[in-house]
Amino acid sequence: MIDYDYIRPGSVKEAIGLLRQYGSKAAVIAGGTDVMVNIRNRNMAPELLVSIRDLKDLCYIKKDENYHIGSLTTHRMLENSDLVKGELSALNDGASWVGSVQVRNVGTIGGNIVNAAPSADTAGPLLALGASVILEGAEGVRKIPISEFFTGPSRTAKRDDEILLEFEIPGEMENFGSAYWKHSRRKAMNLPLVGVSVALKLGASDVIEDAGIALTVAAPTPVRAGMAEDFMKGKPLSEEVLSEAGRIAASPDCCSPRDSLRCDAWYREEMIAVLVPRVARLAADRIKNR
Amino acid sequence: MSEHLYIGKSIPRTIETEKVTGKAVYIDDLKRPGMLYGKILYSDFAHAKIINVDTSAAERLPGVRAVLTGRDIPDVRVGFFKDQTVLKKDKVRQYRDEVAAVAAISPDIAEEAVSLIKVEYEELPAVFDPYEAMAEAAPLIHETDARGKPVRSNVLPIPWRFQSGDIDQGKENSAYVVKDSVSTTWVNQCCMGTSGCIAEFDSNNNLTLYNQTNVIFGDKGRITEYFAQIGLKNKKIRVVNPVVGGSFGTKLDTDIYEFICIQLALKTRRPVKILFTREEEFMALPPRQPALFDIEQGCDKQGRLTFRKASALLDNGAYTSWGVTTPSVMMMPMSSLYRVPNVSFKATCVYTNNIYCQAMRGYGNPQASFAVETSMDTLANEAGIDPAEFRSINRNVEGEETPMRLKITTCGLKECIDSVKERLNWDDKKKAPKKGRGVGMASLIHVAGGARVYKSDGHGIAVKVDEDGYIDVIESGTDQGQGSPTVISQMVAEAIGFRPEDVSITFGDTRLCLWDAGTHASRHTFMAGNAAILACEKAKKQILEMAAEKMPLMIKKGFKKQKKKDPGFAEPQLDYALISNPENLDIRDRVIFCKSDPENEHFRMEVSRILRAGLHVGTGQSKVITADAFYDPPTEMLDRELKGNLSCTYAFGTTGVEVEVDEETGEISILKLVAAHDVGKAINPTLLLGQVYGAVYTGVGYGLTEELKLENGRVVNNNFRDYKILTAKDVIPIEPVIIEPEDKDGPFGAKGVGEPGLVPTAPAIANAVYDAIGVRMRDLPITPEKVLAAIKEKKNVC
Amino acid sequence: MKKLVISFTLNGDPVTAEVPATWSLLRTLREYFELTGAKEGCGVGECGACTVMVDGDAVNSCLYPVFEIEGKSVTTIEGLASQDGSLDPLQRSFLENNGVQCGFCTSGMIMSAKSLLKENSDPTEDEIRTAIAGNICRCTGYVQIVEAIENAAAMSREKE
Repeated sequence: MIDYDYIRPGSVKEAIGLLRQYGSKAAVIAGGTDVMVNIRNRNMAPELLVSIRDLKDLCYIKKDENYHIGSLTTHRMLENSDLVKGELSALNDGASWVGSVQVRNVGTIGGNIVNAAPSADTAGPLLALGASVILEGAEGVRKIPISEFFTGPSRTAKRDDEILLEFEIPGEMENFGSAYWKHSRRKAMNLPLVGVSVALKLGASDVIEDAGIALTVAAPTPVRAGMAEDFMKGKPLSEEVLSEAGRIAASPDCCSPRDSLRCDAWYREEMIAVLVPRVARLAADRIKNR
Repeated sequence: MSEHLYIGKSIPRTIETEKVTGKAVYIDDLKRPGMLYGKILYSDFAHAKIINVDTSAAERLPGVRAVLTGRDIPDVRVGFFKDQTVLKKDKVRQYRDEVAAVAAISPDIAEEAVSLIKVEYEELPAVFDPYEAMAEAAPLIHETDARGKPVRSNVLPIPWRFQSGDIDQGKENSAYVVKDSVSTTWVNQCCMGTSGCIAEFDSNNNLTLYNQTNVIFGDKGRITEYFAQIGLKNKKIRVVNPVVGGSFGTKLDTDIYEFICIQLALKTRRPVKILFTREEEFMALPPRQPALFDIEQGCDKQGRLTFRKASALLDNGAYTSWGVTTPSVMMMPMSSLYRVPNVSFKATCVYTNNIYCQAMRGYGNPQASFAVETSMDTLANEAGIDPAEFRSINRNVEGEETPMRLKITTCGLKECIDSVKERLNWDDKKKAPKKGRGVGMASLIHVAGGARVYKSDGHGIAVKVDEDGYIDVIESGTDQGQGSPTVISQMVAEAIGFRPEDVSITFGDTRLCLWDAGTHASRHTFMAGNAAILACEKAKKQILEMAAEKMPLMIKKGFKKQKKKDPGFAEPQLDYALISNPENLDIRDRVIFCKSDPENEHFRMEVSRILRAGLHVGTGQSKVITADAFYDPPTEMLDRELKGNLSCTYAFGTTGVEVEVDEETGEISILKLVAAHDVGKAINPTLLLGQVYGAVYTGVGYGLTEELKLENGRVVNNNFRDYKILTAKDVIPIEPVIIEPEDKDGPFGAKGVGEPGLVPTAPAIANAVYDAIGVRMRDLPITPEKVLAAIKEKKNVC
Repeated sequence: MKKLVISFTLNGDPVTAEVPATWSLLRTLREYFELTGAKEGCGVGECGACTVMVDGDAVNSCLYPVFEIEGKSVTTIEGLASQDGSLDPLQRSFLENNGVQCGFCTSGMIMSAKSLLKENSDPTEDEIRTAIAGNICRCTGYVQIVEAIENAAAMSREKE
């Protein structure tokens, strides 16, 4: 039968100590929307839940020369934040589409990323925005790019005794816009069939100075479509360029979608090619509408 | 009386306030003293021999009160064809086969105990495709039939064969002929309240079953038959409904879990509750019957239909429930949707190792209408006639009899087609089509005045009026949420002359209720209404007889009193003969009045005064007011040729859709949906619209997003995340149109409407997609992948 | 099975419960407090039938561990009507506009709407649909539910 104990540490340090002590017998729980389901479905059987839900110190959205988002910021906070909507639009898109309002009210961005589903809605945006992950464990604090954080389906580089503290996103300069599209069968309560995030920095005459394209449900982990990004850099924002970028992003050079219960690989590939240009245009429009 | 007080009024559901305060008691909320919790162990294989079942560990678990396997209970066959036992003993034939069951003091312990049961199987070759199952070399799902006779084929011996007229002659008379094949798959009913029941035996082994069934007497009958074979003959059975969390066809049979629950209750001598989890509801509850159709139709040069020839192949799954009877309903659109002189339809049902099926809202009509309306569209196209015009040419007409011998009385189909055309701007859209956009339509015919599927299509109502003027109604149907309490209280109030708030209704209790064939086939309002009118007429007659006797005396007494107080009072000269005859009295808004002198203030008296006067008499002559009625409509059963006017009247409707197709992603957006329905008379327009909206949404899901995905017989999308029922964010702009050709057989002119809203939705969408992008979608649901693949194929071919 | 003693505010009243630590808030409400308005429609946060408000936010109580509720304020459907029994505008509006059919989703649906109207007294149709996107209904097709919420919002604005 399902049985576990719980403990609610008063600080990150305390939490780390507990994780160190209990090792794989313990599991961190924040919003609980993934952990509680996993326990019920017998995908997880921890003996101790270390609850960090009320560590309010990890709940913030700040901007100095970079953006800092505390790991316990809920999806709802990201959805309602004008700063995130205006300046980290792809992340606002992603957070807004997680589950339902009920899920977003308690689910955290940290939990979404640590759970590391290849379909995670905030993963693509964070990747495209070039985020880094700040972790703290018994051996101290470290920062790694999010592209190195995902190591496999539902696997991350986080050590058992570490707590994810913050997402740091490079401060955007002018002419920067981003968007995320979650391709799904109905308009709410979905896991995406495929997710496409695009971040663009435009220069003079709408030349693409920099581009970040991230794909989810297109590989074992969320991935950047590096080749498509490189192709776009330095080129004008035109139909042909975007189309070709889409084609490259959908190719085996950038991703490896597979058949699954939810969708066939061929359709995912087609959608990547169709959606990359559309999302890029949306990101570009957001730059213009600022 | 010309104007109705309550009929046609959108009276709110105040009678159901408990549902908005959290106090309504569903089966989930119901507890009986000493109740245990039952859980079922399902099979690990689609087709296997059961070699051994080891329940020892489960039995030892503290808190477990009973563990049952197929060996522990009598081997009684149940089901429509008596082709399964309650717990499977020798063989499992599908993934959701019930192999064992546990009763324990908590659901957690019961679940734990189930996981401790060890079953040894010897896997057998399985078959998951109906064509394969029909082949000679196919593994036999059933080796013997109910009587023990050997069976040599997986094809069920069911006579679903319909023939009327001369198909060959029809073909000869045709200028245009088209052939189509379409397919529909399994969808889940998705009741928000999952399946479940509580079985409780009293000290004499009489059973009370708290059950969400819509056929309380049918359920009782099947359990009675079961009891006779398990040593409980002559024991009493009471089936009673709690508040029901939706039905949509799921509660018309006696499900295996009900029998299991009864056995656990018998074994433990305690009440036992079985309640499905949502996972179980998806993977164990029999879904809608899938069907593959081949259909051929022809018309003459003027566009008049000349013949319709169709055949269906039904994947029956491992056992039979109502799914196997859906062809009897399919026959209705096949033979009678539009006027077609020569019809043949046959259906083949095949056992496979897939999940077996039951009824779902529409009961075969949505599947068959998808075939008929796809064919109508391709035929219209072939003949060069506008699809709306084509349907108009062939529309059903009042006063006609169809090849199935259905008598069409009221028929608003013309108005339905016309209003759809108008509200979609059909002609303009056809003349100047926009890229990627299109319009399509489809119609329906459905039973709307009862449905004689059993020898009795009766419905009984009893009423009693208490001395304070309140009326208690004992209603034999089931309230599944469709609004029956309000609608019936309106009809009762109107019929007897009280107010709806004076009415209290008890539903669904075999101990109290007279009898009802079932709350199915969209028959509740029609049947309950007609029975209520009859019962209320009788009750009113009693009240008026009482009034004719008491009123004159009471009025005179009143005058005497006044004279005593005020000697100057002049007693009015009244013609008491007018109110001494009950035929000259009536009741309106709780007041008895004189029909020939309705404005006369003296001849008005509150009903409650009369009732009290009639009860508190003091001389041994007191009376209460009570009446009942059992209404069985003047219809017939289908004969051997599957023909007969099985319903009093028929519902018609047309759904028109405008879609926009994203040709790069295959996604379909519904820009507008017009649902026009011939309902006879809307007793409560707001409640009626609720039925239409709900049915339309389910129909759109059927057309676009919903499907149970089975992999080698196992339902793999058994949750709301991967089973795509529409959410509130999936906006469908629906414009309902209510057509009211008041039906003389319906209560206050009303016809049934519960199912019609769903039936034509999917084909209307498919037809609109064809208009939009020239691609014919023949396989439900119409997913973006299918659209995209079809677009690509068209490009490659052209 | 560890049991815990937990204190919080339930429909305005301070309460204490002693329940197994593994219980969800939903189970605690239904079995310990016998408030059966919130329903288990799926148990995994995918249908919203269990929706209640915690500190004013709509949450799926089936996924909310009871051990997290210490000191918080929970509102269920049973807490909406006034002390004298008069219904909340949402409850009235759901009845008047036929936003209720079988009623199984209704408790959760109304609580999601209540949470919305608390922070937004004049929501657009899209905002309403977003607020109830996590509440599945099979009976109504959502149309009259949206109308009910719009009318309740209007009723409440009129009062002020």
